[in-house]
Parts: sequence; C-alpha cells; structure tokens
Amino acid sequence: MNTYDCIIIGAGHNGLTAAAYLAKQGKKILVLERRNIAGGQVVTESFEEGFQADSLHAGGSLCSDIVRDLKLTSFGLPATAATKLPFVSLQGDSHHLILDADPAKAAESIKRFSANDAARWPEFLSFMKQTTRFIRTANATIMPRLPVDLNFSEGMGLAKLGLDLRLMGGRDMMRIVRGMPMTASEFVDEWFESDIVKAAVASLGIHGFTLGGMGAGTGFTLMHNWANRGGLSHAAVPGGVGKISEALVNAVKSFGGEIRTNAEVKAIQVEITTCKGVLLSNGEEIPAKNVISSADPKHTFLSLVGPMNLPPEFVWHTQSIKMRGSVAKVHLLTDGKHGIPEGTIVLAPSLKYLEKAYDAAKYHTISEKPYLEVTTSGNVVSIHFQFAPYALKSSSWDNERKHLEDLAINTLGEHFPNLKSAIKSLKSLTPKDLEEVYGLTEGDLNHGQLMLDQFMFMRPIPGWSNHRTPIDNLYLGGSGVHGGGGISGASGRNVAKVIDK
Amino acid sequence: MTANKYDAIIIGGGHNGLVAAAYLARAGKRVVVLERRHIIGGATVTEEIIPGFKFTEFSYVVSLLRPEIIRDLKLPQHGLKILPLPSTFTPMDNGDYIAAWDDHDMTRREIYRHSPKDAEASDEYSRAMARLAKAIKPILSILPPDPTSFHPKDLFGLLKLGRFAASISEKDLYGLAKIMTQSAADMLEEWFETEPLLGTKSASGIIGTFLGPRSPSTAYVLLHHYMGEIDGAFRAWGFAKGGTGGIAEAIGSSARSLGAEIRCNSSVKQVIIKNGRAVGVALENGDEIRAKAVLSSVDPILTFLKFVESKYLPADLIHSIKKYRTRGSSGKVNLALGELPNFTALPGEGPLHRGAISISPSIDYIERAYDDAKYGRFAKEPFVDIIIPSVIDPDMAPPGKHVMSCFVQYAPYDIEGGWDDAKREAFGETVISAIERYAPNIRRAIIGKQVITPKDIESITNITGGNIFHGELLLHQLFFMRPATKWASFRTPVDGYYIAGSGAHPGGGIMGAPGKMAAEIAMKDGI
Repeated sequence: MNTYDCIIIGAGHNGLTAAAYLAKQGKKILVLERRNIAGGQVVTESFEEGFQADSLHAGGSLCSDIVRDLKLTSFGLPATAATKLPFVSLQGDSHHLILDADPAKAAESIKRFSANDAARWPEFLSFMKQTTRFIRTANATIMPRLPVDLNFSEGMGLAKLGLDLRLMGGRDMMRIVRGMPMTASEFVDEWFESDIVKAAVASLGIHGFTLGGMGAGTGFTLMHNWANRGGLSHAAVPGGVGKISEALVNAVKSFGGEIRTNAEVKAIQVEITTCKGVLLSNGEEIPAKNVISSADPKHTFLSLVGPMNLPPEFVWHTQSIKMRGSVAKVHLLTDGKHGIPEGTIVLAPSLKYLEKAYDAAKYHTISEKPYLEVTTSGNVVSIHFQFAPYALKSSSWDNERKHLEDLAINTLGEHFPNLKSAIKSLKSLTPKDLEEVYGLTEGDLNHGQLMLDQFMFMRPIPGWSNHRTPIDNLYLGGSGVHGGGGISGASGRNVAKVIDK
Repeated sequence: MTANKYDAIIIGGGHNGLVAAAYLARAGKRVVVLERRHIIGGATVTEEIIPGFKFTEFSYVVSLLRPEIIRDLKLPQHGLKILPLPSTFTPMDNGDYIAAWDDHDMTRREIYRHSPKDAEASDEYSRAMARLAKAIKPILSILPPDPTSFHPKDLFGLLKLGRFAASISEKDLYGLAKIMTQSAADMLEEWFETEPLLGTKSASGIIGTFLGPRSPSTAYVLLHHYMGEIDGAFRAWGFAKGGTGGIAEAIGSSARSLGAEIRCNSSVKQVIIKNGRAVGVALENGDEIRAKAVLSSVDPILTFLKFVESKYLPADLIHSIKKYRTRGSSGKVNLALGELPNFTALPGEGPLHRGAISISPSIDYIERAYDDAKYGRFAKEPFVDIIIPSVIDPDMAPPGKHVMSCFVQYAPYDIEGGWDDAKREAFGETVISAIERYAPNIRRAIIGKQVITPKDIESITNITGGNIFHGELLLHQLFFMRPATKWASFRTPVDGYYIAGSGAHPGGGIMGAPGKMAAEIAMKDGI
C-alpha cells in the first residue's frame, strides 16, 4: 500500500509552497482543494458577470528564496514590473498626494504639504528598508515553544534574529522594538508632521486588519504590510496574481506531486493522538504519514480535527482566536472611462478619518465613510473596502450587499465623477462570501487577526507557534501560524522544513 | 543668594519626591525638597476647597504604595492609616445593579443571580489574575537594563531578566504575554458575559490612559491595577485617612523627622550645570541653592525640556521626550453634599456607600466615552468612579454632611477649541447628569462643587498635559523605554541629575517606587 508521505489540505499559496518543497525532496504528496480551482486567496477569477479580476489581493510576491528554490520562473511565474506604480492618497481638492516609487518624485509631491516631511522622506525609506529586513527575517524564523523544548536549531534561529536586530545599530533597533507596539499614528508621528502624509502611510497599518490607526500594534502591522508589498504600493503581477498560484501548481506537478480539486476534506482522522490521514466529504478515506493543514486554525482544529481529540485548554485557546474579518471587495467592470489613475489609490485623507472608519467595526456596523484602496487593471476597477465587519449588529450580509456596493461606488465616485456612468457590471465579495467561497472563518484574510496578542510566539495560540499541533504528524501551515499573513509563502516554506523525516 | 550646601535637592513635593527625600535623609544625607505650591502632595493632596469639606482633590484611592516604603519610613507612626474599600457597586439602566462585596460568598451569590456562568468563572479569573500579578510584581523593583548597550552591567541586567522570565512557568509566561498585548475587552470577554460586570472590570484597564477598553494592550493596565496590596491582602484598594493627602502628610512628616527640609512656595526655574554636572538649582525668585545632586520628581517634559538647556542633552533624547505621550484624559468632580446619594437600584443608606460606586454599565458605554475623546470632546456619557470618603472617615466633612469624589473619563486635554470656564461647567454638568440617572437626589444634595479638567490638573499640579501618570502607560513607554530608551534607570545625561517621579519606571499610581529607586541610584553614585 503506497501511502502518501504527506497530505496537504488546501491548495492556497502556502499549501502549494509546502507541497512543492516536499515533492522536490522526493516525497509522495497529495494536495486536496475544496474548490474547483487552486490558489486560495491568490486567484484571478472570471466572474459570471463577464469579467476577470484579482479577487482578493491586488498584488504581491513570494519570498525570493522560494522563487529561487522552486525555480518558479521556469514554471511560468512572471517577472514583476521593473518600476512600481505610485501610491496615491486622494485629497478633496484633487491635488492628490502622490508617493511615487522614485523618492525624488515623492518628495516633490510631499513638499506641497510639508517641506520638513519631504526632507525626511529618504531617511524614512531607509528605515523602512531595515524594518522590512527584520520582518522578513522574523517570518523566516520558526518561533519555538518557549521556554521548554527549545531545540538547538530553533534557539539558533532566535539568536540570529536577535543579533540581526542588534546589528542594525542601537538606534534603529529601538525604533523597531518600540515601533511594534506603537499605534500606526504614533509610528508615523515620529517622522512626519503633515496629517495628510501621516494618514497615507498609516493606512498600511490598518489595511486588511480589524484595527484602528490609533490602536496599539498597528505599528507592527504597518511594518508587516510594507514588508509584504516591498513598499507602499502593490506589486501587481502581469497577468494577475493568479499567475503565482499557476506557477506553484506547475512546480508541484513537475516535481511529482498530486493535486486534486473538488476534493473537500471533511475530517482529519486521528487515532488517540496520532494523525492517520483524512476523510473526504464524498466518503473517501486517504491515509498518510503526515498531514499539513493550510486552512485556518479554527477550521482545522474545531471542524476537521474536532474538540474531542484535543486537550481542553488547547480547544479553549483556539476558540478564543479572534478572526472577525472586516474586509469586503467590490470589483467593477467599466468602459474604461472611470478616470482613476494607475497605481494604488487610497482614500485616507486624515488619521481621524481612518479612525472613524474603524469605530464602526467596533460596534458591528458598516463604515459609512470607509477607508478604500483601489487598483485598476484594464477596464476593471477593484475596490478594497474597510470596514465591513463579518458580524453585523442589526442586519446580515444577505441584506447589506447592495448597501455595501453603493457605499463603495458613491464614496469613490465623489473623487471620480465619471465613475458611476462608466460601470457596466460589478461583483462584490462580502465577509460572508469570503467565508463561504474561500473558506475563511469569519472572512478573515489573515486566518486570525495579526494583533499584538496573536503574533510571533503567540500565533496561532501561545505555545503552538512552531507549526506543530497536539496531534502527532499533524502540522499547521497556513497564514494562521507565525510567518503567515500576506502572499509571501513563508509559512508554507517553514512548515516543510519542520516536518520530521 | 543662598549658599547652603545640601547633598541633594528634590524638585517637587509630590509623593515620589517626598519618598526620595525621606530615603536620602534616612541615610544621613542633607536634603531639601522644593515645592512650588503652598502645600506638599502634588496630585496626592487633600484640600478644604469648601470650608468644612475636605476634598481628596486628584487621586482618591491607594493600593500600590510599596509595603517596604511603609515599613522603612515608619509611615503608620506618622499618621498613615489605610482603610480598605470593601465593595464596588454598579447600577444598571434597568433599575438593577451588580456588586462585589467584602464577603466572598455574598459576592458569588450576587454574580450568580446575573449569570451562573460568570459566578463559576469569577473565582478562577481571580486566581489567574492574582498568579499573573504575583509573577510580574518583581518587575516593579527591577532596574530596567538597556538592551542597546553592550556594557557588561546591562548585559548582566538582561541576563537577570532572562533568568527571571525563566523562573515563571510556561503557562504564566504566555499568560503575561497575552495580557500585555490584549485589549481589556478581549481578555474579559473570554471569561465573562454579564455586561455591567464586564464594564466595571474593563474600567481598570483604561484608568489614566487615552485608550478604550477595546484598545489593544489595555489588559496590561488592568493587571497593573491588580498588583496592589493592603496589609498583605492582595489587590485590595484602600482609602487613606484624610484622603490621599494623608499619605503625603505622613511621608512628609517622616522625611522631616529624619532631617529633611521641605520648602513650599519655592518654584524651581532651572538646574544649574557646571562642567556637565548638576550643582544646584535656580529658583524663579532668583535664589540659588547648591547641592551635590538634584532629583527631579516632576514629569519628564519639565525635567528635561524646562529645567535643562537643550545644549546639555543629546538630540535623540530631546526628540523622544517631545514625542513622549502625556495626554490627560481624565477629570475630577469633587462634591460637598448635604445628604448621601440615594441609588434607586438599592435605596437607603447602606454598605454600598462605604465602597466604590462605578458608572460603567457596559464595555461599549466606556468605549463610546473614549470615542468622544478621540475626536476632541469630553464624553457625553462618561465613566465615573465614585467614592464617599466621609462615610469611611467622618473627619472629611461636617457631621451629617458628606464629600464625594468622582473620577471621570474621558475628558481630553486637547479638547476642540481648548478648555474654558463654559466647557468646564458643561463637563461638570454631564457628570452630575450621569450620576443623576441612577441617584436622582444628587442635584438637591449638592452644596458645593469643584470641577477639575485636565487643563486644571496641569495648572494646579504642573503635570504636563494633565496626565495623572506623568506619561501614558503605553507599551512603548514602559520599562526600559520609560521615559526614554537609554535613560530608563533614573540617571540623565547630566551627571548628578536624576528623574525620580512617575515618569520613570515603574510608572504611575501612588507607588513611591520611582522615588525610592532614584534615591538609591543617586546614593550608589556617591552623593
């Protein structure tokens, strides 16, 4: 009986990355995907409304070592554009703040708001290069289960991270250490004086999260998002982000791995404390020596494994993981005459505006004056909307879809008067859609909010940040573990390393 | 020109300054405390604002005063008497209430009638919090090491810290990590479900901060307030006889008896520096006083930016202090009453009047109050923490009459348009209305009132920004980062000049720890 060495649940980018690494090592692996397409969140889909768009993410790139190790360019991964498009912060008087990738051009635009801020811009960019290095190193470090069971390589990883940080120099080290628990507002306040410049940069601290710019820990999320994007604006992928997943799929197959779509896993089979394999929804049982779940921790442990197979305290902590997604997407097919410039466009006119948008989420209502981030691709306009909380106080998403679409379009339309008349069709994704279609519990793109109390050695829960689980041979490898969050593939790469031979 | 030579000058006669003076005097040093106001105490002061009625003007309860300080300075012999607050009473909008009483079983039954689940959770929660508070308590007395320095002293400090962390169980270590980063709301909602219970408990997480109960990291402030003890009883809050001013008087009396000199109406203008060393201070009236060392117990902004010329300080430190968050978010309404407030939820004079009364019907109520402050307004429906000192200490008011101390959040220092008399009056009104909702007789009971805004806190006590902790208890302003990185162990770039108040580790509250530790550091440096 030729059992699989490893089954990977979920053909998202982390699952595929793990699969590719393992297949390349000669392991017999099988990836099981619930949907009829692979890619998870990293997909470019054709909607029945008659157009195609980057469904959930406007851009991104895998870690460079992953691209190298898996030879992804040979499998069709497009090279990212040489120059990045600008980051544009919309202003009421149409004199937008344009933060071009070229520091000199950006400084010119900043000067109109504050000469001091323009002067500090290059130094700020240098500092963010350091924070990016730190975040990437931290995400490549397996977070051990402190302070017990600290094995040598985990200890070395941590020591290296600490040393890396220290070698940046006392000043930058402290800026980073202090910067993490700070609010995004405080973080930008250390550098800039103009509220407009501050809000534009601070918006990266709340993008994708149910956090306010005045909430502690958004300093960290700001650094996190900057590291994942490689700057302020999205690194769009020629042909759509789905190309990343396509390349990964090709790599997995080429290395001898199997991928099955329309194969929903119903349960992870556990015998006492050992994982034996999986059970599909169609009744098929597939044994395996190891199983990696790249689904979110709540779904993995509470649905697939089941509380009865897990220690009670572990179950309690898992139930306490805060998901509470608040992102919605509205994609518009237009006749091309929308008037929106190229680049990453944000509606973040002031720190108070961003905070007020977040307040709505606290009370489980939709932001009437939302934070938006907009990208365009040909005739398609993609709007990222916050805050659209998963759990609404006095309504449900079935009843609020139209309201969401109107809010997104009208708000954006205030800055682009030609937009409304240019729309030919649209496709919206509410947090409920994110849960039902993409398998994200409570619509959380991060598989668990990336808050201070749910990051590093506390992610997904304290003591279980090294991809292992209370079940032998069962591993967690998605965005919900340390290293995850964003399209870096770090979690997938890391879990492949952790699996005991 | 006065040419008296002292060993140490203490700027500020608040509780930390007085503690520093007492410890130095106890070691035989010649000390003088220079207090700007006509009375000592700082924000730990009781004043008879309305004749016959003594207001515990700013601070009102105590719990964190270090037991070793009480012992070392023999404070009980100098009049310190702390009486425990036996209860917390939270009235609800539906006419009911929830309370925590002195008696454990009574409290359990009380919670049980609201929620059996919460009654179960309550005991385990208390145990878990007590354990975490005990685990982290030693931090209060540890000198924060400088992680950016490779100096053996600091590396050793880091090692000691590591060993301390290793001595905590894994479970508690994670518990601490969680509590330092979670919001008070998230943490509490994992345990409880009764709204007014959640509201009241979450309030401890936001006292003195410019954050709401749903803001990340407020669970830490909750723990900070849990670390107190009275007579060894962990976590008990108490009222000092004579108000918190009684504490300052006791420390002042002890300091004097040990030989320290205390001068009031002595406002310091600047620290005199010669060859990079502090050699004394110059007063506003022109007098100069010489000493071997100067300890500043006032806030970091005054300590660094007012008393010292910028040329003596590194640019990084100046930048850090300018960015140091010290936004006041609280106010006080002190009332002279002709009768006790009568709460419709539990009418008549009773045990509830001996404890704290909390206007905190739910977490969202407090969160909305915070939202108002974020946008530059005082809370339309404020959180109010009330005690009636005269019930516990009848000397505070004439017979049959009472004083009521109301701590209020939120009232932002940076209110839109700035604070003026009209806004102060409106703010006071809002507080009285909030109380009136639960005790309708309050209005006719009021004989006189004192409304204190954060601006008033600043103008009376001179605390920059009116923040009661001399700087918010934010994660990036704690421990080795308080008040600034590299300057978190009481020394400053100027030799012989120290910071000794709440703006230093371990932070605010009536602890006395910063004063004591600064005095010890100064003595270690050989003054």
